Amino acid sequence: MVFEELEHTADIRMKISAADLPSLFSESGFALAKILYGAYPVETPTDVFSIHAEGKDREELIVNFLSELLFLTETEYLVPQKFTLSVVDAVCGTVEGVLFDRKKHAGGTGVKGISYSGLSLTRTKTGYELIIIFDI
Amino acid sequence: MNDQIQQITTNEWEIPRGFVPGMRVPGRFFLSKSLAETLEDGALTQLANVATLPGILRYSLGMPDIHWGYGFPIGGVGAFDADTGIISPGGVGFDINCGVRMITTPLTVSDIPDMKELVEDLFNAVPTGVGSKSPIRLSQKDLSSMLEDGAKNAVEMGYGMECDIPRCEENGAMDGAKPEHVSKKARQRGIPQCGTLGSGNHFLEVQVVDDIVDEATAKTFGVAKGQICVMIHCGSRGLGHQVCTDHLQILESASKKYGIDLPDRQLACAPLFSPEGEAYFGAMAASANYAWANRQIITHIVRELFVKKFRIAYEEMPLVYDVAHNVAKWEEHNVDGVRRNVCVHRKGATRAFGPGRAEVPHEFRASGQPVIIPGSMGTPSYILAGTDGAMEKTFGSTCHGSGRVKSRSSAKKSQTGEEVANALLRQGIIVRAPNQAAIAEEAPDVYKSSSEVVQTVHDAGISRIVARMRPLGVIKG
Repeated sequence: MVFEELEHTADIRMKISAADLPSLFSESGFALAKILYGAYPVETPTDVFSIHAEGKDREELIVNFLSELLFLTETEYLVPQKFTLSVVDAVCGTVEGVLFDRKKHAGGTGVKGISYSGLSLTRTKTGYELIIIFDI
Repeated sequence: MNDQIQQITTNEWEIPRGFVPGMRVPGRFFLSKSLAETLEDGALTQLANVATLPGILRYSLGMPDIHWGYGFPIGGVGAFDADTGIISPGGVGFDINCGVRMITTPLTVSDIPDMKELVEDLFNAVPTGVGSKSPIRLSQKDLSSMLEDGAKNAVEMGYGMECDIPRCEENGAMDGAKPEHVSKKARQRGIPQCGTLGSGNHFLEVQVVDDIVDEATAKTFGVAKGQICVMIHCGSRGLGHQVCTDHLQILESASKKYGIDLPDRQLACAPLFSPEGEAYFGAMAASANYAWANRQIITHIVRELFVKKFRIAYEEMPLVYDVAHNVAKWEEHNVDGVRRNVCVHRKGATRAFGPGRAEVPHEFRASGQPVIIPGSMGTPSYILAGTDGAMEKTFGSTCHGSGRVKSRSSAKKSQTGEEVANALLRQGIIVRAPNQAAIAEEAPDVYKSSSEVVQTVHDAGISRIVARMRPLGVIKG
């Protein structure tokens, strides 16, 4: 598993690891989706949205990217299936997915925001590691 | 308890200045001896960090349901001087005006032969959980009116009665709302979610009043033993969350611009009368108004269902009161003998104004305002009254609930949702949620005991117990 839940009393704290930044951002996106929808089936995407976020540093970039994804899930009822991202100074790309279906996607809980609390994005021997709290 | 903490009275403790560098005032918090064991170091540090913020008055305060939050601890209260003070989204939270209200009904337990059916009907009537959609179609113009006028706007649209409005804190609409500072994105999230319960710790509960502690005040509040009532706990949904996210970013730059030295990035803030501070205040007030409208619409859905199902009149289900948990407001308080207008941040705390305050409806002015404290799923909820003690000690504030002690992940590991639901059923409580995990995460034992939290605020004199309600049916978001 590339993301795991760590202990936190009120919210959800996750550790996410990946070999490169685009994968780290994609995995973070799937981590958010898993909180929102529970474990949901892999399906052929039916909808595609572009996604773009900026930030003064990588921490702000990941927070803004996940906030943008949260916005898409709430306004477009998007359940992500595939990310295609480029992460340099900004993050841009697409997220493909299916539309929310209560029968398949009601296993999770709402996320209010992406927190800067205890946020860390670090380089490791094998790539990158992110520790992040989702405020629920 | 950390050995730097000083005990002031049985239930009152002080964090001395110097606990973290730069504290301008001490911290004070209220915990009974057994609740003291639940105090996390993280929450203590957060309480001390709040004391470093410019313009903070008297104390950084913690209520007995204190726990580790975002910026301020949950259960945190801070009042700020108008000239030197700041406003911070970290002192309000993502869910602006998350709050709770209660309506009473003329029904008793024997009038509800099938609680399971009632819970199922409520679950189907009130949009609940992730992905739920609003029962109403709001235009951008409708939303703007809602952001300005809150509960009043909802009543004008036909969701409620005129007499509901004064029964909301701030009459269901804060002054100073500035919809122009609510972003397009926030509006996009708000339009499809109006009149939805949300998820997490939000709930709708059918309860029975099972103990009256103060008969006279209960009568004033319109609460009687054996009565069925409905409690609704929710907030400003995605709209408020987006407002918090948007303004945090602005205020983070503002903190640097105004040279505010922050111990924690989450305490991003700006002077109260700076353009950034005023913009956040205006957007926050607008979100708070949306939340009051949201609770008003849900109340209407519940009342309509009860009218149809039990053949009672809509008017027979008055609103007892509606209180906000996550908000910053201008209020007049006595500070060291001087009457001053201060900005009180309440983050997971409830206003508990004592007798005589003009902000409280006339009928409650002798008793103090009703304070509604929800229990966790399966544990009792309470109605309290605000006191002079709260005015003296906590800028008119008290606890807001029971306070989490166990993480969601460990809750899920220890019991499944089905086990929790079955255990509650054995106590006569029916629970309905969009999924079983939502039930496990909110199991009664992941929270401090609501009875103990309420007893602590009662003993500390910052509110007083009036009545207790037992849950019968719970809809979890």
